[in-house]
Amino acid sequence: MALVLNAEEEEFADSVRRFVAERSPRAKLRELMASGQPYHGDVWRQMSGGLGLSGLIIPAEYGGAEAGYRVLAVALTELGAGLVSSPLLAGTLAAGVLLRLDDKDAQGRLLPGIASGELIATLALAGDVTVRADGGTLTGEVAPVLNAAQAGVLLVPALAGGGIGVYEVEAAAAGLSVAAAPALDHSRSVGTVRLDGVAGRPLAGDAARALGFARDLANLALAAEQLGAFGAALEMTVEYAKIRAAFGRPIGAFQGVKHRLANLRTDWELAHAALLDAARAADERPGDFAAAAAVARVSVSDAYVAAATATIQLHGGIGFTWEHDAHLYYKNAISQNALFGDPRAQLDRLRTLLTAG
Amino acid sequence: MSEQSVTSFRDRARSWLAANAPRRSDAQEPDGEPQAAGVAAQREFQAKLYDAGFAGITWPKEYGGQGLTNAEQIAFGEEARGYALPTGVFFIGLGMPGPTILEMGSEAQKKRYLPKMLRGEEIWCQLFSEPAAGSDVASLTTSAVRDGDEWLLNGQKVWTSGAQWSDYGAIIARTDPTVPKHNGITMFIVDMHAPGVTVRPLKVATGSSPFNEVFFDNVRLPAGSVIGEVNNGWAAAVVMLRNERVTIGTMGSPRTSPLSYHSLSALAARLGTGADVEVARRLARLYARERSVRLFGQLLREEAMAGRDPGARGSVAKLAGAELAMSACEVAEAVLGQAVVAGGAGDPEIDAVIMAVIGSPGSSVAGGTNEIQRNIIGERVLGLAKDPGVDRGTPFNQLRVGTLNTK
Repeated sequence: MALVLNAEEEEFADSVRRFVAERSPRAKLRELMASGQPYHGDVWRQMSGGLGLSGLIIPAEYGGAEAGYRVLAVALTELGAGLVSSPLLAGTLAAGVLLRLDDKDAQGRLLPGIASGELIATLALAGDVTVRADGGTLTGEVAPVLNAAQAGVLLVPALAGGGIGVYEVEAAAAGLSVAAAPALDHSRSVGTVRLDGVAGRPLAGDAARALGFARDLANLALAAEQLGAFGAALEMTVEYAKIRAAFGRPIGAFQGVKHRLANLRTDWELAHAALLDAARAADERPGDFAAAAAVARVSVSDAYVAAATATIQLHGGIGFTWEHDAHLYYKNAISQNALFGDPRAQLDRLRTLLTAG
Repeated sequence: MSEQSVTSFRDRARSWLAANAPRRSDAQEPDGEPQAAGVAAQREFQAKLYDAGFAGITWPKEYGGQGLTNAEQIAFGEEARGYALPTGVFFIGLGMPGPTILEMGSEAQKKRYLPKMLRGEEIWCQLFSEPAAGSDVASLTTSAVRDGDEWLLNGQKVWTSGAQWSDYGAIIARTDPTVPKHNGITMFIVDMHAPGVTVRPLKVATGSSPFNEVFFDNVRLPAGSVIGEVNNGWAAAVVMLRNERVTIGTMGSPRTSPLSYHSLSALAARLGTGADVEVARRLARLYARERSVRLFGQLLREEAMAGRDPGARGSVAKLAGAELAMSACEVAEAVLGQAVVAGGAGDPEIDAVIMAVIGSPGSSVAGGTNEIQRNIIGERVLGLAKDPGVDRGTPFNQLRVGTLNTK
């Protein structure tokens, strides 16, 4: 398959972009910031039920669209550009783990709800796994966990004996407490999960392999969101450099501004190509997916932080005000940079993959 | 062009290459100084390539090309990736003057020059830069003055690759100094063997001489030498420079290049410096960067194949390639550690890395500096306001140029 998107994928990207512009513009994020709600229920229903975004990687037999990882990356890029807050990433990672495990019963029970958007699921994975499982009873703490406070079901990786397992935990389980944490990124809802002797249902299958895949999928999904947001922040800044005048000229005419923006566009182009490749690898070259996804993440993470920083700097004073959207991207960039492995962790992982291969 | 015919073209290319072309070996290639014997062998190989139907794949048949599409061109490029085709001396001619003559030249020029260029019978160079006109190439002072139907050419060019092997060159010269600088330039074909042409090798920082200085002393250009229109040479130059950036930017570099992740990683393992976590991270970052630059080149080629003009995004590829080389130098220095001080001391791998490190700053200048590429990306990709160009409306002969004042 070619790297460049085909006409159908372009059309899909357009439809998600229109959805974001019409149903979830950045004004909607301001509403969430004011109300303290994690996301808009109606926007989520339209995204999941209407556009089918919650089931893109889920097979048709479980009610998903079975559209593949490239289409997922296309959707997440557009949603990232609009800083759309939703439990989509949480559910996608949970679905990714379920699909790589071999538990038909759990798949049949959970995937249809995740695909339709009615069940909010999340993966309680952050850094190294430290939760302990003792005869199906889980103890430990995980943070930050995406949409922990809204999830109806949590998939909890835990150490059991010498190995690792993934356990299904109901939100209402005794001994489970979830505290919503204040998120730096206004478009993200996270929480701390405490397990104090919680009964978990062990899921059948190769947990280590499934969790490895989840980390790669997180890299792909976050790289897509980051690339979209990077592009939006850059475009906002470029447009401003065309209309803001100083010393009798638009500021974009000055090389101090122009060259900084040209460097960022160059970084964006490289990250874009790396993302297309990672998404293609997920669908077509599973053996190369881990390296391709890490390359995409490394290519976009720091560059997006640089772009979001430049967005404030090149807007000048107005860019540092609460009413301007620049700080929303800046906070998103810093937070996304650290989520599921910062660039240094990604480089270590990439180096390990390369020397092992 | 149907998919089936591309497939059969690809199959034919694969078997021809296997039978006729040398494989890319792990041996380091010398940096751009083919010897006379090497040039003769290259001419011979180019003729074989032409006779087999693999030269000028997208050029029209009436000028010696194959009349095929970008799809066949890309298929050939992909099949040829594992081979070191000995065609380096034709790289400039076929990449820049050739396409420019194809686009802007007269019918007589196309018929006379293109087939011989394709068959390797005549080698071409391009003569743009001057000692006082680098990034601001439109401020050139080499002049061509009419003498009846002919022209008299005087001046100096520099950074001319392959001038010592060339039979012809595409040159831009000032033909009207009384108008603003972009409006008084004409592009000509110059016979590099004509009386008054002097080629001198230019020794660069690596100690080798991959470029030349070329002097023109009352060189007579016959009627019919103008490419395009008189005083419209800047338009032709822009076409040629754009071809150059796409050519350079999407070239990629082989795994065997001394500054590739592959080579530096192996060297770090041998020297023991790869055990350091910071060096290991820098190597991983180099891998990511190298891979993303290669993927972007692939994306540009795919877009071109789908009929989308890469346009100024060729400058993105050019800039990214030059910056990749410079970041690879930093990684190389970390990998070498103290070994860099002794300058290799006879270890051939270390020598190759050090030579590549010394040569790399050239890639941020050659074919348009990084600063010029950033201007192009800013203005033509992002659509930012143009540099004011205070000299744009002033007649050339009233400008200060380079370190000279033409007044």
